[in-house]
Amino acid sequence: MDFTIRAATLEDCKDISRMILELAEYEKVPDQVKITQRDLEQDGFSKNPFFHGIIAEVPEHHKSREGHTKVGYSLYFYTYSSWKGRAVYMEDLYVMPEFRGKGIGKALMSKVSQLGLAAGCTQLNFTVLDWNKSSLDFYLKQGCWDVTSDLGYHCMRCEGDALEHLAQGDL
Amino acid sequence: MANFNLRKAEPKDVPDILRLIKELAKYEEMEDQVILTEKDLLEDGFGDHPFYHCVVADVPAEHQKVEGYSVIGFAMYYFTYDPWIGKLLYLEDFYVMKEYRGFGIGSEILKTLSDTAVKNRCSSMHFIVAESNKASIDFYKRRGASDLSLQEGWRLFRIDKENLLKISAEE
Repeated sequence: MDFTIRAATLEDCKDISRMILELAEYEKVPDQVKITQRDLEQDGFSKNPFFHGIIAEVPEHHKSREGHTKVGYSLYFYTYSSWKGRAVYMEDLYVMPEFRGKGIGKALMSKVSQLGLAAGCTQLNFTVLDWNKSSLDFYLKQGCWDVTSDLGYHCMRCEGDALEHLAQGDL
Repeated sequence: MANFNLRKAEPKDVPDILRLIKELAKYEEMEDQVILTEKDLLEDGFGDHPFYHCVVADVPAEHQKVEGYSVIGFAMYYFTYDPWIGKLLYLEDFYVMKEYRGFGIGSEILKTLSDTAVKNRCSSMHFIVAESNKASIDFYKRRGASDLSLQEGWRLFRIDKENLLKISAEE
């Protein structure tokens, strides 16, 4: 199937927002999505964007059952390793179910890798849920390795009340 | 310990930042993994689009316990993005020299970072910790951090440069 991979623009935020919700619905937690289309526009397309996006698009005659031609996306941003320097973090990678198995996911990931390398990055990082076997298999096939398993690094988070208390210096 | 001062890092702090990065890596038994140079740190942290931000803790000359060093702690961080909840603060490195621990410097650094997170409308502060580093895990859990790897099953994955080149070259 024909498809193109290109940089996301402001106009794509409507479809990116739609696909973010689709992914959340698939994970059975759509109420956890607080970010709106407007937030995406402000946070991704202002002078100092907090993320970058790429879109997978199919021609009109291959549009989805509901009439969409934007069928996949990836959101990424640049990070920094105090050991190795510039790195790229792939936050989201998603292809609509009816368009899977056609190499679109791989192409999106390939694009993020190219952009990362062009920006001088030496690693691409991302997280995967341990129950997501099909994704784990896909990534391991691409030559990724599991840092949590191999080095024992755990992802930690401090949020909400805990963050507020920390900011105020309470223990 | 009476005086210490927390401030935003300046280009002149780069040699000390690298020294402390290496000390922290040594503590994690990963000293040989640090390939970052002072030149990288200068270019990547103090140009037009910094990849990271740094706060440093310094002590006045009369309180120096270790000959010649006034910068005795640091934290390196950057902003990331979660498409469900928006901006986050990611804590990349956080370290206080052994001779200066137990005086509240670490807590003060964390307070400053949390304050930065809240002021920048970040929902959360994220970081990774090695599961073998019990002292640090306890330090963070006491301050309300949760272990996402344990609680939600998130695993950190990585693709190193060699495989990034392969992926980006695929059609």
